[in-house]
Amino acid sequence: MKDAFHAPRPAPATQPARIIEGYPQTALRTPAEPLIRRAPTRSELTGPRPASRVALLGGDIAGHGAAQAIGQLMLLRGRVLDEDGSPVGGALVEIWQANAAGRYIHPNDDDHAPVDERFYGAARLLTAEDGSFELRTVKPGAYPVPSSGGWWRPPHIHFSVFGRVWLSRLVSQMYFPDDPLNAQDRILNAVADAEARQRLLARLVPPAKAPGNALAFEHEIVVRGARATPGQP
Amino acid sequence: MSRIPTASATIGPFFPGRYVDAGANDLTLRDGRVARGTAITLSGNVTQADGTPLENLILELWQADAAGIFDDPADPRAAQADPDFCGWGRAATDAQGAYTFRTIRPGGYDAADGSRRAPHLNLVLLFSGLMRELRTVVYFESEAENAADPVLAAVPPARRALLLARLEAPGRYRFDIRLRGAGETPFFDD
Repeated sequence: MKDAFHAPRPAPATQPARIIEGYPQTALRTPAEPLIRRAPTRSELTGPRPASRVALLGGDIAGHGAAQAIGQLMLLRGRVLDEDGSPVGGALVEIWQANAAGRYIHPNDDDHAPVDERFYGAARLLTAEDGSFELRTVKPGAYPVPSSGGWWRPPHIHFSVFGRVWLSRLVSQMYFPDDPLNAQDRILNAVADAEARQRLLARLVPPAKAPGNALAFEHEIVVRGARATPGQP
Repeated sequence: MSRIPTASATIGPFFPGRYVDAGANDLTLRDGRVARGTAITLSGNVTQADGTPLENLILELWQADAAGIFDDPADPRAAQADPDFCGWGRAATDAQGAYTFRTIRPGGYDAADGSRRAPHLNLVLLFSGLMRELRTVVYFESEAENAADPVLAAVPPARRALLLARLEAPGRYRFDIRLRGAGETPFFDD
């Protein structure tokens, strides 16, 4: 196998450790055998357009008028880019989050925090040609992880993204700047590189420049792409 | 300007029920039209290190059509791709750790480097406790083209059989997945 055909891998420190102390499920589910290196083939350097098989839900999950969800109204201006900084248009982005009290609409979330009947917390949309998308929501709350010895998840939003090729597939989480719980979060801090952690934090748009009555944030999501795909697949 | 890929994270336990649309695990139909080729099912159980079956684990499938063509303009034969086959699906495991896909048996294809890929199914696994997605490849038992497949050749010989789906009945293949421990499924780093 020729090295020239390997896709460049991200530097390990910019990606999370797979096994995390204090998060025991990681040790039960992460393979023990070394992952097998392979040269990408057409299977990895092509990719699906799954939007034809799933129902789009749009990017407005905050509700309106009397049906407005409880919480701090926020607008997230997101962008999906590849490793060359080129926008990824038409990318399927799936988003979910807890409500403002830190509770998910999910049968396994038995936290004491209240459900907000006006907040389901799931968006699904396609990026515009410039890679941009907009999420109108309420800021999620923090919540304790059961039986974890005091680990609280800081407010965060989950993203599941399809880029141009199968290698681009990414599931990630976004955090908020200056939240005191960020420093003790076992998932955020599984990323060793400080700059890579910083890139997981949304940027606050100066409120005077934000539209309407929402707090606005910006966030960039970079999927593996062009640089990793030399030549014809 | 070049950028560094965003760090991945676990999908967590609380992704919404709507994440898996009804029918998303059936690749044989597209907008009500039936794909060309031989319909098959691929089923199996997913377990963790202590043998516990895993519920609500997400599997995603990406594959070529019956003629070995991907539904992507980057495929050199894209113009001949089956318009009724999109090649992607998503399934979740049930309380017993079981998943099922209904799909088309893919064709092999000639790769750009002159090698030949045997018919195969590309799987991505997402689950609470997996900080990065897991990637594996499913081959079909008794397939003559397996012997020359460059990706299967990268797997240590003693572990190759773990990537073979077993024919249980005509059109019914079984592929169990062990994330860690005895009989651990081979996973790839791309």
